[in-house]
Amino acid sequence: MPRKYNIEVSPAPPRFPPVGKFVIERSAADCINCGRCVLTCIHSVHARLDEDLRRMAEPEDYRCKGCFRCVQECPKEALTIRSSDEYLRLGDSYWTPEIISKNWYQAETGKVPVSGAGYLGPFSGEGFDSMWTDMSEIVRPTRDGIHGREYINTSVDIGRKVPVIKFDAQGRIVSPLPPTLSVPLPILFDTLPFGGYGNVYEAVARAASFLGTLMIVDPDAWFNKEYEANAVPVLTQSALEDSVTACKMAELDYGSTVLGAVEELRNANPETIVSVRVPFGDTAAEIAEELTCAGVEVVHLYADCNGKQIDPPGPGEPRLLKDMILEVHRQLVARKIRDEVTLIASGGIAIAEHVAKSILCGADLVAIDLPLLIALECRYCKNCHSSGLKCPVSLKDVDPRYGAQRIINLVGAWRNQLLEVLGAMGLREVRRLRGELGRAIFFEEIQRETFDTIFAKEVSYNVKAGN
Amino acid sequence: MSKPVIKLVHSRFPNEISAVEVTRATESCISCGTCANVCPFGVHERKPGHNRISRPQSHLCIGASCEDMSFYCVNHCPRKALSIGTNQNYKTIGDHRWTRDLILGTWKQAETGMPLKGREYEIGDSGGGFDRMAFKFLHARVTDAIDDDAISTEIDLNKRAGRRICIDVPFYGGGMSFGSISLSVMLARAKAARAWGTFTCTGEGGFPAELQEYDENVITQVATGLFGVSEDTIQRVKIVELKYAQGAKPGLGGHLLGDKVTAEVARLREAVPDSSLFSPFPFHSVYSVEDHEKHVDWIKEINPDAIISVKVSTARDVDMVAVGSYYAGANIIHLDGSYGGTGAAPEIAKKNIAMPIEYAITKVHECLKEEGVREEMTVIASGGIRTAHDAAKAIALGADGVVTGTAELVALGCVRCGSCESGRGCPRGIATTDPELAKAVDVDWGAQRLINLYAAWRSEIVMILRRLGMSSIKELVGRYDCLSYEGQSKGPRRGI
Repeated sequence: MPRKYNIEVSPAPPRFPPVGKFVIERSAADCINCGRCVLTCIHSVHARLDEDLRRMAEPEDYRCKGCFRCVQECPKEALTIRSSDEYLRLGDSYWTPEIISKNWYQAETGKVPVSGAGYLGPFSGEGFDSMWTDMSEIVRPTRDGIHGREYINTSVDIGRKVPVIKFDAQGRIVSPLPPTLSVPLPILFDTLPFGGYGNVYEAVARAASFLGTLMIVDPDAWFNKEYEANAVPVLTQSALEDSVTACKMAELDYGSTVLGAVEELRNANPETIVSVRVPFGDTAAEIAEELTCAGVEVVHLYADCNGKQIDPPGPGEPRLLKDMILEVHRQLVARKIRDEVTLIASGGIAIAEHVAKSILCGADLVAIDLPLLIALECRYCKNCHSSGLKCPVSLKDVDPRYGAQRIINLVGAWRNQLLEVLGAMGLREVRRLRGELGRAIFFEEIQRETFDTIFAKEVSYNVKAGN
Repeated sequence: MSKPVIKLVHSRFPNEISAVEVTRATESCISCGTCANVCPFGVHERKPGHNRISRPQSHLCIGASCEDMSFYCVNHCPRKALSIGTNQNYKTIGDHRWTRDLILGTWKQAETGMPLKGREYEIGDSGGGFDRMAFKFLHARVTDAIDDDAISTEIDLNKRAGRRICIDVPFYGGGMSFGSISLSVMLARAKAARAWGTFTCTGEGGFPAELQEYDENVITQVATGLFGVSEDTIQRVKIVELKYAQGAKPGLGGHLLGDKVTAEVARLREAVPDSSLFSPFPFHSVYSVEDHEKHVDWIKEINPDAIISVKVSTARDVDMVAVGSYYAGANIIHLDGSYGGTGAAPEIAKKNIAMPIEYAITKVHECLKEEGVREEMTVIASGGIRTAHDAAKAIALGADGVVTGTAELVALGCVRCGSCESGRGCPRGIATTDPELAKAVDVDWGAQRLINLYAAWRSEIVMILRRLGMSSIKELVGRYDCLSYEGQSKGPRRGI
């Protein structure tokens, strides 16, 4: 049994007050400074003004949870709670304000978000929102991993797996064994879409090194020998720099000459695992099949930042990460070559559930990008990469140590959520989750099994009514 | 059936949150009192001895529908100082599953005991499941001849041999433990259950002594942590619930964070104060239907008359679990859907693990029918039953009755802020063990609010049955043909 892996988290409070969900308005004309709101609020939103205790301070909005007690108990009805516009403007329709602020919370505390009162969101949606994960009860055991009472292994192997190992008469292995690499959790760090400042890269590298995972990085943007053990350089096919071939793994962009480059890199350093980056598009499944058959051991399929297909050919709806992973996985399974290749999926992995669901749909592991920046308080305002405006959270000033802690906290919380999902399913290995489609509940499928059947019978009642 | 008395009980907060906001521009108002004279609802008032007119009581206003009335205050005001708009707080409240109108509507029902009219009080905004279903009422079949009292809302909780247990309304209260909610909330629920001839459940947290007088209407839970379970508690009640899983966190054990484990909570649970209590998951003694049967036998050995309810969540194979429970000797299969629940749970579990209740009910109903045992098993659904309409839809999909949880808490003043799990617990004094906060709920006040809510729900269910031409709720079970389904709504809906 491998060493028990556990991520130690430690609180890292934000540098800037987080954007809260609510804004509290106190009508100066009505408020009589009685202090009733201070007594009613259990989240310390209201307080008296330090300089003048006769007056009330401005409410600390970001702490408000929206219980409305102060509003309902104010003797002069002077308080109003409204949704914060700044909060609603965070991110975009994919990277929603909830996703960004929940990730901030996890980066700060390292804790799994817990709340009462049931689920608040829509019934289902598109992509990952159109599936549920299974659980076990009575007839199958579950596992109790998150509290450490049962160990659930989240490590995954990267590299080619040999289907058969041959031994000689003395019991020595004679089959050639390709290099493999084990990472303790199925989350790699991908290249940064923006915000590539030296200190940010260093924070990411430090976190990768602490967690024992890998950081995919463009060596032209940033490279530091100190973190070589955890770096996966993305190499240009023409120039395979010597300085970086010492890494355990390297990536090459897919192109017509990629197989030659793979060969060249292997010859230069036989111990390096080579991964090919393929954009998720209409032909991703064919490309993955072609590469696997050609002996490529790792295929990294990337979607765009919002988990959508890269360069959709027509004006129709672009395809989504969940469906694309499923398609590639199913095709490789059908060709009986799925186990020969490691699939990394990335692009639009925004919350912990996306990790579990990507793996359930058939990826071996995922790579994350934007969440690394969100851990450093990024608001995804897009100021820096579209309009050249100032970064509201000054990413280039983040202390790498502190930044690394925020990333470690986020990943620690995500891993614990993965343990919750695995535990509920009764799995003790994340490797068992890969492509375990029988333990996924897909919206279209369950809809077909239940509602499509029962609501097809609706005629009978009408007929009776006519009598 | 003797119906309990409905009484008007107001919110315990001085300022009500309402949809309508009546604004008086103080700089223009001359306090002439015209508005107070014209408004028949008491929105405006000049208290005796006061020069100035009081602040408008917006929650009494009927809103835009008043515009065409002769008594519309906005038109009467000589200084044009009045206006009617939408309340800002009202705009902020609510979420996809419990919209602002569902929350306010439940408050209104708990206040008055009267059913509400309007689609906004029947469904939420989740875009799927119950929210996309409606009853197909055919006016031709409405039987005016049936008078309301002749329509039966009774259901049997035991359809097998043994003690007959019949409840007057097709719903009972779900398990909420002492520790997760305050003692006064527990007592209020028990009192309301007794008044309506139904049940409430202790959850996994022991059986406080104060609850003893309601033994006849209490279900006790045996869950994985066995917190507060003793021979005595099992012998005292008519129904024992074996909790294998719960919808709030399917596949995960219970959480009661240390902050809420007061000395009293710890004593009942035979645990240490201030330490977090995690129930393991699952029952490590149950890995098969045979093991499960052993559990049922164990309860029956201690209390031979006990009716056994098996609470499970909605796994992919929940239908097989239900059949297994039948053969293990259970009387009730209680399905707890993944979107409901009141307890603290990791958000990833609430959204993603296990299927919504709407699918599970049908699967179980059909599977039990195929197995030929549907007539002997009582199917109860919970986890996302917000209104009487949800309850009726669940029954039409194949359940015998439903279990309520969140709806009861909302009736007691919950706004679903979701911060019930840690610190001092619920800021509104419901899901808390903080002695100061818990004072907010008075037992009699709470009981009456719940009695009213149940009354409103029963009236609505009776109305639905009348319009479907049925005289008993039992006729509605599994009548898919009474429902129409609009299909999942399309649109940019994303959740976390």
